[in-house]
Amino acid sequence: VIRPTAAHGLLAFLAAVLVLTAGVGIARLRGLEPAPGQPIDFPHTVHAGTLALPCDFCHAFAARARHAGAPPLETCMGCHRAIATEREEIRKLTRYYEEGRPVEWNRVYTLPDFIYFSHKRHVKAGVECSECHGDVREMEKIRRVSSLTMGWCVSCHRVRGASRDCAVCHK
Amino acid sequence: MKRRDFLRFVGMLSGSAVLASCGSRKRPGRFVSYILPPDEGALPGEAAFFPSTCTECPAGCGLLVRVREGWPVKLEGAPGHPVSDGGLCIRGQASLTRLYHPERIRNPVLRTGEGRYRDISWENALSLVADALAESRAAGRRSFYLAGRTTGSLSELVDAFCRAAGLERAPDFEVYGHSAIKEACALLFGERDVPLYRIEDADFLLTVGADMLETFVSPVSYTRALSRAKEREGFGWVHVEPHFSLTGANADRRLAVLPGAEPHLLAHLLREVSGGGGRGRRLPREVVDALPGLSAEQVAENTGLSAQEVRETADRFARAKRPLVVAGGVSAAHAAGLETAVLAGLIQWATGAIPDLVDFSRAENYRTVGTLRDMATLSASMERGEAGVLFLSRCNPLFALPKESPFRDGLPKVRLSVAFGDLPDETLRAANLVLPLSHSLESWDAVEPRRGVASLVQPVREPLHDTLSEGDLLLAVMSRIAGKEPAASYRDRVAAFAQERYGKDGWKTLRETGHLAGPAPKKGASLNAGAAAAVLRAMRPAREASGPVLVLAPSLRTFDGRSRGLPHLSEIPDPLTTVSYGRWLSISPGDAARSGLRELDEAAVAAPGLSETLPVKLQPGLPEGVFVLHRDFLDAPPVATDGRTGGPIEYLPGVALVATGRRIRIPVLSGSPSQHGRGLIPDPAHRDGKHRHERVSLYPEHDHKEYRWAMAIDLDRCNGCSACVAACYIENNVPIVGAKDHLRGREMSWLRIEPFYEENGQVDFLPMLCQQCHYAPCETVCPVFAAYHNPEGLNVQVYARCVGTRYCSNNCPYKVRRFNWWQHRWPAPTDRMHNPDVPARDVGVMEKCTFCVQRIRQAKDRAKDESRAVRDGEFTTACAQSCPAGAIVFGNLLDPESGVSRLARSARAYRVFEILGTEPSVHYLRGRKREGGT
Repeated sequence: VIRPTAAHGLLAFLAAVLVLTAGVGIARLRGLEPAPGQPIDFPHTVHAGTLALPCDFCHAFAARARHAGAPPLETCMGCHRAIATEREEIRKLTRYYEEGRPVEWNRVYTLPDFIYFSHKRHVKAGVECSECHGDVREMEKIRRVSSLTMGWCVSCHRVRGASRDCAVCHK
Repeated sequence: MKRRDFLRFVGMLSGSAVLASCGSRKRPGRFVSYILPPDEGALPGEAAFFPSTCTECPAGCGLLVRVREGWPVKLEGAPGHPVSDGGLCIRGQASLTRLYHPERIRNPVLRTGEGRYRDISWENALSLVADALAESRAAGRRSFYLAGRTTGSLSELVDAFCRAAGLERAPDFEVYGHSAIKEACALLFGERDVPLYRIEDADFLLTVGADMLETFVSPVSYTRALSRAKEREGFGWVHVEPHFSLTGANADRRLAVLPGAEPHLLAHLLREVSGGGGRGRRLPREVVDALPGLSAEQVAENTGLSAQEVRETADRFARAKRPLVVAGGVSAAHAAGLETAVLAGLIQWATGAIPDLVDFSRAENYRTVGTLRDMATLSASMERGEAGVLFLSRCNPLFALPKESPFRDGLPKVRLSVAFGDLPDETLRAANLVLPLSHSLESWDAVEPRRGVASLVQPVREPLHDTLSEGDLLLAVMSRIAGKEPAASYRDRVAAFAQERYGKDGWKTLRETGHLAGPAPKKGASLNAGAAAAVLRAMRPAREASGPVLVLAPSLRTFDGRSRGLPHLSEIPDPLTTVSYGRWLSISPGDAARSGLRELDEAAVAAPGLSETLPVKLQPGLPEGVFVLHRDFLDAPPVATDGRTGGPIEYLPGVALVATGRRIRIPVLSGSPSQHGRGLIPDPAHRDGKHRHERVSLYPEHDHKEYRWAMAIDLDRCNGCSACVAACYIENNVPIVGAKDHLRGREMSWLRIEPFYEENGQVDFLPMLCQQCHYAPCETVCPVFAAYHNPEGLNVQVYARCVGTRYCSNNCPYKVRRFNWWQHRWPAPTDRMHNPDVPARDVGVMEKCTFCVQRIRQAKDRAKDESRAVRDGEFTTACAQSCPAGAIVFGNLLDPESGVSRLARSARAYRVFEILGTEPSVHYLRGRKREGGT
């Protein structure tokens, strides 16, 4: 039989603190899940897969700017004024458009704010979208397929002979 | 539970806790879609630039506003602008914070009693104003409109508004209204305005009290002009002043004259040039006869200068082919201010400086600006209770007017005082109704900083708060009075104004370039000899002796006090004293010794109408018997009004100083006013041939392939104005830490101005920033490789890597690295001012200048798109962009033809602490003063 002593009490307290912080931590980590839900259930399988739309049909800035950009709702409505208008998700889209509200998509790929990353530079260097984003034609729900850690970036820079000067990416 | 299992369990828990806290640094953000595609050319993540005009002071310098995702993040000087041509001063840089200021008035406010206010709607506020106007008109009361200097399109609208609402427009209120210059020009030449002085065309400049580099009419414009003038061989500049100003510190030669004695020197100079000859004109007999005929010795006696100084100045002046004299500032703000200005005008006339060097065709549009006399007329009417409604716009008379002004008693007697403004000030707090104005970055306007020069003010975003621009506000009141919608928005009126004044393409050009200049036929002037002689005859033959004098000087940082609320202007120190926060009295070392005061001892300062306790700051070079207090340190200064010019007399006689025995801690950021012979700015006296060593290194040589970034700073052009410092703060999101941290030596400036005083009172300014050493002492001591040398010659600091050992800072001989002792907070909406290209640094991280690496990255990106190398001058750092003097040149040292390479090869070039072998990439160019020039 173990007699409870002051040391045991302290240990129990520490354990409780640990359980609590770990719980909070795990809860926060869930925010980083690789495939978050989205306000509109957009199927890349249909658009990129079946219809074989090129990526920059919607992500129009990928080759021109730092950010690839989400498609302006006007682009979506270009087709969906006529197509599949009866579906719930399209009705949602139409409501956003008509009320003049932007859709706030949940980010799947996030870089810290001290990192400079330009889609343009990578596209112009001939990096295929799928090299980082995976084959979205097969993804019912977009999920993060690469870690976006520094080691992951550097490994590719090394293979391709791109600059490995810190100041190229670190702001 | 077994001990092993317990440990395993604890290990797993703590591991996940640590991992989780690492991973949750930033929660995944949102990714927002456009609704409509953006305009062609607008790209997410790329900056857009819009031309506009700075409204922080009356000068009207051109701006390029950098906007990121709809938020203005930086103001740059607009190259080619007719006033400022690419420069922007410290106040202009800081004026961006006015937009985001947390204390901005966000909606109309009604004053319900002493210190009590209530928010009201625009609807109610406008009704209140319209009703009060109707009521006061019915009761036969007079209503007034009083504003700061108003020009261009808004001035026209104000006139229309006054007609529609039955108001009288009072002359504009400006503390620095240059009333003596205007009065003199009106007397002599019939032009009641401040002319444009074309310094760049003169070969000898004599400035008398005019603080060209700080606040005089258009400081950026004059700084630019001085830099251009200095390019010419043989240009000389002598500055005469009673106190010690930044302008005086930068002149080739500074003459400290007894306060009020300037006319004696000028009269002497006028006699010397009165004979005409060359480009000069012969002075009328009448004027010459009225001149006091004093010898150089007598003038010296009267002015406190030496006879040799008087003779040399007169001689230099007479020898010059295109001499120009400019008098103003504190030298025109004393009892003999009118004589100073009149004599300067006569010299300009006699030397033929009019109309080429003194240009009335491009006069500075100060005609609408009134004087204290005009304010007295208005105040008298208010005091008699005649005033119904008083509009107060963009001015703070309660702070700036003399203590004795009847305006203070008159204001409460006005039935309804309506004040327009953005940040709370003395006048806004006392007004019955406060209507919030939009920032100039949220408004349309076309200002006319000079006659025939228009500059566009355009909104770059929707108003942040429930505010209106002054134009729209006046139109709203007008439509309320008329009971119908206004015929046109204020923007349309601005467009119509531009078209009417500047031809049918006026508006188009103004929209595209941001500025316009109409034709300016040269304007001659005829001299009214009678009026001139009358002023001269009244001149006192000798100077009366007087005791110690307190000079109220304009402030580089806050102008007349209007920029006090902007945090950067307290954080960045005054360049002469390096004091950042707090008030102080500058006294000469001699006076300090006499009154037993040491630096920062508290003194009780007493003068008629003034009783203050202030810390004293020893100012080398300041004459004895003269104390200097910045005007913005005094609320309601006890100044008198000059009966002839109507301007304030910015001198308080009979000052007594008594030590209180206390010491006041205010932050003085410079370690020492002296170089201690270290040759930071090399002097032949410091030259030392002994310390030359062979370079031995354990480290591999750096190899630069395409670029090696470097900077050249011309100390002859640098005048310490600190515009670069403000630009750096805003470009790089440098945190503002406040007085407490400054006192601990924890200021965060990446770029600082260090003043170094010589024994003879001469001062040199050294801008000190990271020197990007080729052999950098910081890099070798970093244990985590956060400080490293990049292939383009930068000492990069990887913030995400830094663990805060501070070894680098200890090892840096230039002391340019700054440590984050706190997690700095940016209260909303100031967080929107952040430059997204530069990350916010966390607590425990070392930070420093990296030659605006974000701009380098951008320029390289652009060049790469076009498959070429970055061109020289294609981009520059924030400090160089802002520099009104054009003292900073940035570029690629590997390109032998680049501007910076050429300057680095100049015979004047040197680097700080060369003996250390750090081989900095910042090349300084010794000033001409040091080269033994004029």
